[in-house]
Amino acid sequence: MIANYLSLSVILFCFGLLGVISRRNVFTVFMSIELMLNAANLAFVALSRLHENMDGHVLALMVMAVAAAEAALALAVVILLHKHKGNLDTNVFSLLRG
Amino acid sequence: MEHTVSYLVLIPLLPLLGALLMGLMYLVSCKGKAFPEKIYGIIACIGPALTFILALKVYFGLKGLPEDSRYLVQDVFTWIKVGDLDISMGFFADPLSSLMLLFVTLIGTLIHVYSVGYMAKDENFGKFFAYLNLFLGSMLILVLGSSPVVMFVGWEGVGLCSYLLISYYSTETNNVIAGNKAFIVNRIGDLGFVLGMSLLFWAIGSGGFDYMSLRANAEQIGPGVGLAICLLLFVGATGKSAQIPLYVWLPDAMAGPTPVSALIHAATMVTAGVYMVARFSFIYAEVPAAGTVVAWIGILTALLAAIFGCFQRDIKKILAYSTVSQLGYMFAGVGVAAYSAGIFHVFTHAFFKALLFLGAGSVIYALHHEQDIWRMGGLKNKMPITYWTMLIGCLALAGCPPFSGFFSKDEILFMALASGHGGVWLVGVLVAAMTAFYTFRMFFVVFHGKPRDEHAYEHAHESPKVMTVPLIVLAVGACFAGYLNIPSIFGGHLGVSHWLAPSLTEHHPHVSVWLEVLAVATSIAAFGCGIFFAWKKFYVATAEEPFYTGLANFAYNKFMVDELYHYLLVVPYKLLGTAISKSIEPFVTDGPVKVVVWLYGALANAFKVVQVGYVRVYAIYMVIGLSVLSIFISRSLNL
Amino acid sequence: MVSTILFSAFAVLAVAGAAGLVLLRHPMNGAMSFIMTLIALAGLFALLSAKLIFAIQLIVYAGAIMSLILFIIMFLNIGEKDLPDESNRWFYFGGGAVVIAPLAIFLLKVVNKLPSCEATIVGDSFGSVKGVGMVLFTEWLLPFEIVSILLLVALVGAVVLAGKREGKL
Repeated sequence: MIANYLSLSVILFCFGLLGVISRRNVFTVFMSIELMLNAANLAFVALSRLHENMDGHVLALMVMAVAAAEAALALAVVILLHKHKGNLDTNVFSLLRG
Repeated sequence: MEHTVSYLVLIPLLPLLGALLMGLMYLVSCKGKAFPEKIYGIIACIGPALTFILALKVYFGLKGLPEDSRYLVQDVFTWIKVGDLDISMGFFADPLSSLMLLFVTLIGTLIHVYSVGYMAKDENFGKFFAYLNLFLGSMLILVLGSSPVVMFVGWEGVGLCSYLLISYYSTETNNVIAGNKAFIVNRIGDLGFVLGMSLLFWAIGSGGFDYMSLRANAEQIGPGVGLAICLLLFVGATGKSAQIPLYVWLPDAMAGPTPVSALIHAATMVTAGVYMVARFSFIYAEVPAAGTVVAWIGILTALLAAIFGCFQRDIKKILAYSTVSQLGYMFAGVGVAAYSAGIFHVFTHAFFKALLFLGAGSVIYALHHEQDIWRMGGLKNKMPITYWTMLIGCLALAGCPPFSGFFSKDEILFMALASGHGGVWLVGVLVAAMTAFYTFRMFFVVFHGKPRDEHAYEHAHESPKVMTVPLIVLAVGACFAGYLNIPSIFGGHLGVSHWLAPSLTEHHPHVSVWLEVLAVATSIAAFGCGIFFAWKKFYVATAEEPFYTGLANFAYNKFMVDELYHYLLVVPYKLLGTAISKSIEPFVTDGPVKVVVWLYGALANAFKVVQVGYVRVYAIYMVIGLSVLSIFISRSLNL
Repeated sequence: MVSTILFSAFAVLAVAGAAGLVLLRHPMNGAMSFIMTLIALAGLFALLSAKLIFAIQLIVYAGAIMSLILFIIMFLNIGEKDLPDESNRWFYFGGGAVVIAPLAIFLLKVVNKLPSCEATIVGDSFGSVKGVGMVLFTEWLLPFEIVSILLLVALVGAVVLAGKREGKL
């Protein structure tokens, strides 16, 4: 039964991954990352349930805190980038080009 | 058998500490205001003086022991331990090294004192004394080292100091070239030394590589290997002690300050080769053939240098060639297995040659760095102390009977005759006559006659006390050092030879008194002949430099040996170097490197394509990697 | 039985929301479908007896974080012309799916090898505020404090970044 939860977690995670690598809209990419974090949370909670041990819940809480911090920062960056480039396309940001 | 003491390490350490201290002081102050010369002078002289006191302590310590156990040792730490090779940084004093120690420290101290006067007002005063102390420390390591490897440390150290001090006046190109020449020629010799040492280790090194173990195992060496070891070590000695064919560096080494010529290139360092052969007497005694080679090379060097000495006009070069010549005598001595005679000549030579050099330095100092004897003359009245001390030195060098040089040289010649090397003896007598000739040629021209350069003569003056006192002390040594080893024919009992006996492997042949009388008589006759010709030719007020033609001109030009070496060795070597750098290096050596560089460039360009600059694409690469990894893991886990 | 039906329903909703997030072109639509996923996940947490996480998922995630994202999307006033040209995104989806498939298959295989248990509701303190709080403030105290510092740093960072005058990046 737990295996179903974990399988769902894997599927959601892979959707998140797909969103990160195939979309160019910064918001979608950002939310895809959030989706991956949520998939991880689901796995934590499911395994916590399997072992009847609440460490997984605590970890899920931590992940949410980190996600909140990340959201605050990432959105600040998005605003800044939009101000400068007037665009939401990740392909515009190619400073890493060799 | 051996006695462990704790003060041996201090002997090399004190001058080395002085060198370190003065070197640091010099480095600190070389940008700004220099420390006063007095401070350097005191530091420089304290170390050598203390080592002389310690050398006396070593001597009396050894004297208090029974004759067959006169060994003092001190192991400081284990230096190298690899397989069979177990070398400790150890020091070792036996009668041989104690004798060397005594005169090295005594003469070293005197020359330090003298240098304080001679080098006054030199801008690199501190550097000079740092080098000089470093030299003394290295020389003492050489003398006291308990194994050939430790000796080699000192051997290289003195070579380094010699290089540094020859090119001390480094603003002149010629001095630097002379320093380089000394260093490079010595390298050739050192290669021989290292090879000889390695061969020695290969032969009997497994039983311990200090002198005492080596001596105990010396009989196990085969005759062929023994000969090879002896000759290779002798190659090292020819480099350091300026013998044929590597003697060319020593005359050029006179470019250094005169006290350096006295201390390093006459009294101490150049005798290291003789000391080394005597130190390895236990091997040389096993291989008489090697001894014959050493003796002949030595005596031929003596002859060659004496010929050159007769034609030189630079006072220091004359003395330099006489040093080479006397070193040849020493090698003749150790070559005919008369090790104590050779070492005794080292001992007396150190006194009178240091005296002569310091006297020459005094003359040069008085004449404001004039070194050409044909611009001197008549200095007898102006510089009485220098005159009389130089006279003693010249008599000792020429081998005049009551002076030290007579006894030591006569002992070598007599031993050559007694051991059946008649040829060596004959050449030796000839060289003795030539020695007397060129010594007094120089002496008469410099001190007698009328002044050849009025201007310089007017300004000449006796040197300060700090320079004349060492001269007087050395003159006393040059007078009386010979009495330490008076042969039985004069009623003596060969004190030094008996003292050295436990360290050396030599046999005193028993020969008739008449042979001994013959040897002494010919020596005196040779001296008489030499001085007579010199007197006749140069003891005239108006003696001028003769005009050399033919063979004499050839000798004046030193038989073109330097030119021969230059065209035979240096030029082909340089051509080879140029050829290699022009043809082989760009293709064979640099080619592959350049190809590799180009390959990396091409590779980088190829991989640059994947560096698109979009973070998203990098994420794709990461996911591809993860996928490949997961495929690999699923297959290996059989999921 | 009920839990199985509920799980299926939530799972379908969550996957549908995730697919919507990835596939829909406009971020506003994507955000709305993502909220659906988050709420379905909250339901799943509840099914797993994680009562506190269920509440926080709804309040913090679906509530606070998502409203922040929506607020920013609307603040930037994104119109059709602001959206990047993603006409070839179907090609990327295909390629991405091919690339991700081995990973997904591997992970699914792994999780299905794990031991299983009935997903019944566990009563009493498991997953309750008190239970999680006891664990959090005893065994996890130090990480908890570190996370608080992390949040503070993020707060300061966000203020500094977003408060910058133009042209200083």
